[in-house]
Amino acid sequence: MTGQQIGLRPPRHRVDPRARRWWAAQAWLAVSGPALLSAAVLLALSALFFPGALPWLAPLTAVVLVLPALGYALAMPALRYRVHAWEVGEAAVYAASGWFRHKRRIAPLSRVQTVDTVRGPLQRRYGLATVTVTTASTAGDVKIAGLSDADAALLAERIGDAARRIPGDAE
Amino acid sequence: MNGISEPSGARWRATDPRTLVAHCAWMGAPLGSLALTAAAAGGRPDARAWITLGVLAAVCAGITGAGLVTWRRTRYRVTADSLELRSGLFTRRVRAIPLHRIRNVDLTAGPVQRLLGLTVLRAGTGGGGAGLKLEALSRPAAERLRAELLARAGSAGAPDPVLSVGDPRWLRYAPLTFWVFGGVFAAAGAVWRVLDGMGVKPWKIGFVRRAAEDFGNSALWLTIPLALLAITALGAAGAVVLYAENWARFRLEWADAATLRVRHGLFTTRAVSIERARLRGVALREPLLLRAGGGATVRAVAGGLGNREENRKRSVILPPAPRAEALRVCEGVFGAGRAGALLPHPRVALRRRVVRGLVWCVLPVGAALAVTGALFAPVLLGCAAAWAVAGTAAVGALARDAYRSLGHAVRGRHLVLRSGTFTRETVTLDRSAVLAWTFTDTPFSRRAGVVTATAAVAAGEEAYRVRDMAAAEAPRFAEAVTPGVLAEFLAV
Repeated sequence: MTGQQIGLRPPRHRVDPRARRWWAAQAWLAVSGPALLSAAVLLALSALFFPGALPWLAPLTAVVLVLPALGYALAMPALRYRVHAWEVGEAAVYAASGWFRHKRRIAPLSRVQTVDTVRGPLQRRYGLATVTVTTASTAGDVKIAGLSDADAALLAERIGDAARRIPGDAE
Repeated sequence: MNGISEPSGARWRATDPRTLVAHCAWMGAPLGSLALTAAAAGGRPDARAWITLGVLAAVCAGITGAGLVTWRRTRYRVTADSLELRSGLFTRRVRAIPLHRIRNVDLTAGPVQRLLGLTVLRAGTGGGGAGLKLEALSRPAAERLRAELLARAGSAGAPDPVLSVGDPRWLRYAPLTFWVFGGVFAAAGAVWRVLDGMGVKPWKIGFVRRAAEDFGNSALWLTIPLALLAITALGAAGAVVLYAENWARFRLEWADAATLRVRHGLFTTRAVSIERARLRGVALREPLLLRAGGGATVRAVAGGLGNREENRKRSVILPPAPRAEALRVCEGVFGAGRAGALLPHPRVALRRRVVRGLVWCVLPVGAALAVTGALFAPVLLGCAAAWAVAGTAAVGALARDAYRSLGHAVRGRHLVLRSGTFTRETVTLDRSAVLAWTFTDTPFSRRAGVVTATAAVAAGEEAYRVRDMAAAEAPRFAEAVTPGVLAEFLAV
């Protein structure tokens, strides 16, 4: 059975295409790389000391570590790139994110408290930035990751302008 | 006096004569010490004791006499427009306060008065000390009079500032809380830690080991249920004690028009003030056991109560109490009435709950039992089958309950959300308090056509979820709650 589609259109602007490489790098560094490394170490140790365990340990490692690690690193960036998007509308800022669990968040500009732009060391290599729009509630912070530097500056400026233009009740 | 007032309302009424006994209560201490001295002296009171007793008797007679006269002269009545109190032993006084000036009516009772079933009623006018105090009314008479005064205080009068006062009968809800079992384990853990800290190994103490051995050798089918029963009884007793210490003298009231105040505690009085301006909503919470017992608790959804942990502790504005009381508190604090009929969620939400229960609870345990059973002990296969049957039935019942709990609605300036089975929570939020909306879905929920909408609020838990709404409906609902925010992003 296929259910109804969510009654929201996606945000207008996609994030920068380079974000895919950034996400891939992140995946290799933080998740897939360590997982593959531990699988390799495990199999090497097994081959050296318990060769008898290999027949069942090798498939197990492949299913539990190797395939998920490869799948994550190869599929996640593309999935994310299809979802991640942002838009600053008349009254609200709208962002979509996630690769497995999709998240769409809408915060009215009148409730915006701060606009933070962050560039991590890895992001800087790809010329990317993350813009976080904060509200008074931690559950209402809109985070837009993987913007090009120029887009980030523009976005921060536009949200700042709009927040100033719209009489705020930032509470 | 005009003809509008009903005859009975204008009649002068007497206070309760039991107040005479209350007046002599102070004699308890000297009489007691006298009796103790006499008992210490061998049961034969000496001359000094007789003199003291005589003095006491004379004072008692004097006080009672004066009290009797005072009581006979103390009369009150409610006329068409005022509450009047006539009193005075030597000087006669008549005091009247206009009904429309009455802002609050407090009922209080000291220990002696409580013992005698008496209540002191204070009618305040909101300003300084210019109130009126009725010393002794029987509790039902006081309740009636309060209702009468508040009803007649008219629309101009502010609502009763005292929203809820603790009742010893609420103790019956104490065993329906987590502390029944949690408390026992927490206490056992604490004892263990103390012994461990002193270098004592509990299992090396003789009688502990003997007890354990005896337990192992006893008829387990009988002693295990008995042990469980004992733990439950111990836990229930502990829960009652904890409840009594924590929630004795509970009182929830509007300290003034802008501050909600909660006070409770037997030895330590805990008081929390919540500014009305930071009160964003109320949450009616009904944990499974408490719900089965017809009880509920209430939390305020408010900002400025500290971090998440502190907020959870300090936002409780009603301890486990009857559900009707909880609803009354919700109404008095936030104008949140009965949840009423909420919009149900799509039927597929029920299926999702059943599947979740089966996949995460029934299946793993059943599979583990079955595999171990097939490999080692065939008796476990039977256990696996029994688990599958019982677990499936339980999951079905819980899932149906969880599905029935789901609901959402817009009520005037409020937004009402309900969900949960282990702790069913009905949250009423101020619509204007919603700062942002988040819609979350996974491949599974997308296939089912549902989405979870989260309202971000700068108070309480910060995120309030409406789980498994129809995907097409969710944004429209959010737009109805916060008009103008989502309109431009709605799919056409």
